[in-house]
Amino acid sequence: MRLVYVLFILFCPSIFTLSNGAEAIIVVANTQDKSIQLNRQQVRNLFMGGALPYDLSAVALPPENQTRVLFNTKVVGLTESRIQSYWAQMRFTGRKKAPKEIESEQLVLEYLKNNQGAIGYLPAGITLPKELTVVYQIH
Amino acid sequence: MNHRIPHVNLACCLILLGWATTLHANSQDKLQFSGFARVVMGYLDDENAEYVGYDNSLSFDQQSLLGLQADYTFNETLSVTGQLVGHTGAQRSSGLEWLYLTYKPSNALQIKMGKQRIPFFNYSDSLDVGFAYPWLTLPQQFYDTAFFSTFEGVLANYEFTANDWIINYEGYWGRYDDKFYLSSGEIDAQVSGLFGVNANVGYKDWTFRASYNQGNTDIELAEVTQLSGLLRSIGFTDSADWLNPSGRIQFYQLSANYENLNYFVRSEIAKMVGETGIVPDIDSFYISAGYNFYPYTLYISYSKRDISYDHFDNEIPFGVSTELDFLASAYNSVLASFPDDNTNGTKIGIRWDWQPNVALKGEMTLVKAGDSISNDFALKDLGNFDGSAILYQLGLEWVF
Repeated sequence: MRLVYVLFILFCPSIFTLSNGAEAIIVVANTQDKSIQLNRQQVRNLFMGGALPYDLSAVALPPENQTRVLFNTKVVGLTESRIQSYWAQMRFTGRKKAPKEIESEQLVLEYLKNNQGAIGYLPAGITLPKELTVVYQIH
Repeated sequence: MNHRIPHVNLACCLILLGWATTLHANSQDKLQFSGFARVVMGYLDDENAEYVGYDNSLSFDQQSLLGLQADYTFNETLSVTGQLVGHTGAQRSSGLEWLYLTYKPSNALQIKMGKQRIPFFNYSDSLDVGFAYPWLTLPQQFYDTAFFSTFEGVLANYEFTANDWIINYEGYWGRYDDKFYLSSGEIDAQVSGLFGVNANVGYKDWTFRASYNQGNTDIELAEVTQLSGLLRSIGFTDSADWLNPSGRIQFYQLSANYENLNYFVRSEIAKMVGETGIVPDIDSFYISAGYNFYPYTLYISYSKRDISYDHFDNEIPFGVSTELDFLASAYNSVLASFPDDNTNGTKIGIRWDWQPNVALKGEMTLVKAGDSISNDFALKDLGNFDGSAILYQLGLEWVF
């Protein structure tokens, strides 16, 4: 029984860290249809260049960006190096092109606001202008 | 001649590269340049064999290469792409690997026309882009089975999603008119009626692929054709037919891959069926597993290939006349130059993603062969080879 307590105490902090608001990710789109809701698999497909029924074009943050690292881990489920090698294969076989990269979260927000059909991921808690819709959220 | 061309091409690539970087800033949207390079060092621990071109001395010029790609976008639906690759290895020809027009009427459909790589297997069209796969050298027992890698024709690709499944159909049709690059040398060859279909299905962390490809080959083997003609003229038509190098080749492939943040398993199995006697049937597969601990990936792999010829018994009688005896022994010696061959490769390696676009790899491959070795493939017996050798390799992969 004592062991259970020890395990509980050990794991509790990590549970708190995982559900911490600072680590939650939202996927935001500039779309007229405010009712669009995507699931994790659809978001993953979209950011890996897959076809989707909606006409949305993804933008990403640069490789070292913390929000991107969280997005890779929680949504795509692949390491950065695996994502890079996937895009190398897609590019040099003429299949797909990686999402346009935008330097920072603020600039992504700016870009999304100005481009209809654009979709990007951002840290939850960022203030969104009313033109943008949250289509997916993960804690 | 083949040894000279890579240097010329490498020089061209370097000039293009310089030009590309200055141009890049100006017309970023319409014209885009990108490229890939690999520097691979290898050493085989056996002086009686050669594997993937490596022998018992340290060598950099077997797999090192430089590739440059230019994409020009006319408008939202139309673009043109060219890719030039300069190889250092003698078993690959340098030059234009891709030159095609892409028509993309929608997100789902893409049609490419021109010179392209043949998508036989998972990595057939990205063999040269080492950055795209975990291994330093692809499982050779599997990837060394297609004798030609490009075609001229049309390829269409259609992708759609159904619930959480992502499905991609691809089909191509065209021809190949060049050479077959075998380890033992080059052969003039033409492949007509070349076509293939494949389906790629992704579901959660899994991807599956199946493909079928076929073509009618016409290979120029002067001595074999001569002997075949001679046999036919005296009535040994079965033997003559067996020696006819032209006929249909078919490739079948199945693949299953799994990957998540921490692990991956990749596997492919293929069968090649050669219709004529001197084109073999080949069964091959590989299975690899890896563990990611970013920025490192540790992997192991096992691959195996069986080459079998549909050997036809000698129908030419011995002891009738000296001419027939001579013919019979000539036929037997030709047969003997197409031995069945079984090899396998076991490898362990590590990939270090040092930068988002630069990876370093180290790999050790133990290659084992059966009693007879067909010297047409990656493994060559230089005489008295005991059938077992280890290849040590270090490499740098770069994309830009």
